[in-house]
Amino acid sequence: MSSKKPVVCPVCGAQIRKSGYCSNCYMHISIIKKAYNTSDYYYNMGLDKAIARDLSGAIESLNMSLRYNKKNIMTRNLLGLIYYEMGEVVMALSHWVMSVNYKSSGNLATKYLKELRSNPTTLADVDQIAIKYNMALDYAKRDDIDLAIIQLKNLLSKNGHFVKGYLLLALLYIHFGNYEKARVTLRRVLKIDKANPLAIHYLHEMGDTDMNIIQMRMEEVEDDGLLEEEYIEENVIRRNNSLMDEDPSDKKSNPIKDFFEKCKNTLFKKKVAGDISFAKYSGVYVLVGMVLGVLMLGFIIVPAQRKSLRKENERIIKTYSEEIAAKESTITSLDAQVSDLNRQIARLESNNSDDVNPLPDYTYITNGMTDEDIQNMINNE
Amino acid sequence: MINFEEELKRFQPIPEVNQAEQAIYNNDLKDISDIVQVVTAEIKSNAMGTSNPVTGRIG
Repeated sequence: MSSKKPVVCPVCGAQIRKSGYCSNCYMHISIIKKAYNTSDYYYNMGLDKAIARDLSGAIESLNMSLRYNKKNIMTRNLLGLIYYEMGEVVMALSHWVMSVNYKSSGNLATKYLKELRSNPTTLADVDQIAIKYNMALDYAKRDDIDLAIIQLKNLLSKNGHFVKGYLLLALLYIHFGNYEKARVTLRRVLKIDKANPLAIHYLHEMGDTDMNIIQMRMEEVEDDGLLEEEYIEENVIRRNNSLMDEDPSDKKSNPIKDFFEKCKNTLFKKKVAGDISFAKYSGVYVLVGMVLGVLMLGFIIVPAQRKSLRKENERIIKTYSEEIAAKESTITSLDAQVSDLNRQIARLESNNSDDVNPLPDYTYITNGMTDEDIQNMINNE
Repeated sequence: MINFEEELKRFQPIPEVNQAEQAIYNNDLKDISDIVQVVTAEIKSNAMGTSNPVTGRIG
């Protein structure tokens, strides 16, 4: 006589009746089996995607698998592992804890949890990363972009697999207009999660084609220098300079900026969203530079030089005029003196001619006379 | 075109370690068997008082 083992309901553990319905939950075994098969199907799909490093796609499939069977241990464990790989350790923990809760023995999640708990530093780091990310997000929402970038760099240097951090960082770079750094950041995301929809969305918005994205996945990211200090400093300095350059009173309209934007829009309007490869337009820049140089020469430099020359000439003419005036006045005064002297001479000459009885000439008398005779004569006179 | 403000709304704060417990509770989703059970319980409770909408018999 053979004792047939009773069929147990996989949902509640009660016995299945002959009709196929559970005696406790009244579910038909075929429905449960079908649901569990579908769950396994989605698990396999998720596993394939995870192997191909399409982690976002894998998460989607594994979540679907859990919709059909939330007690699918393999699905829970793999989902936790994927979250751990993407730097979301708390989410990984929650799935592993659930997994262990459903099946405590012979569960891989037990090993994962034990490893995490054995190293308190890891948990402390995880906590710090979560706090810093939330802080960075808060900064970004308050438009403190520099602080947000610094926080994100800091946390990414501790956990280089934190996809959400990279995505937020890329968004901030895009907001800054720094597309190159945004690309470097998104390349790191694609190295971890090959088909991350948000990363691909951002790259498409920056004008990257699917071929570029495929190429990007193959590039090395170790030496891209994304997390180096210079990047932070450069960015902060650039931002501060731009803030210092901006006059608060001119915040509403900056004619130079407007002009530049206008030129940019006109020259590069074929590009959709800022995918401006400036190297491609170096010829245009040279031409525009030359035209601007000529215009500047014609309208600013030459008139300025002419004006300065005119001023210099006027100054020289004025100096010479003053000198001439001084000399003319000297000449006039000398002329006056000459004429005065001439008049005196003429007057003296006329006086000489008018004198008809000149003094007697006593020379012939005094000749042969002694001084005593002359004195006597004067006395007599 | 990327709208910074709109894109930023996609980013939600991640749970910290001390919020892990809450994350576990939030993770307790309902699968298809839970839904079937709820529906079955409803049918059962209806059948207790009135006729069963599926079989038409008085429970």
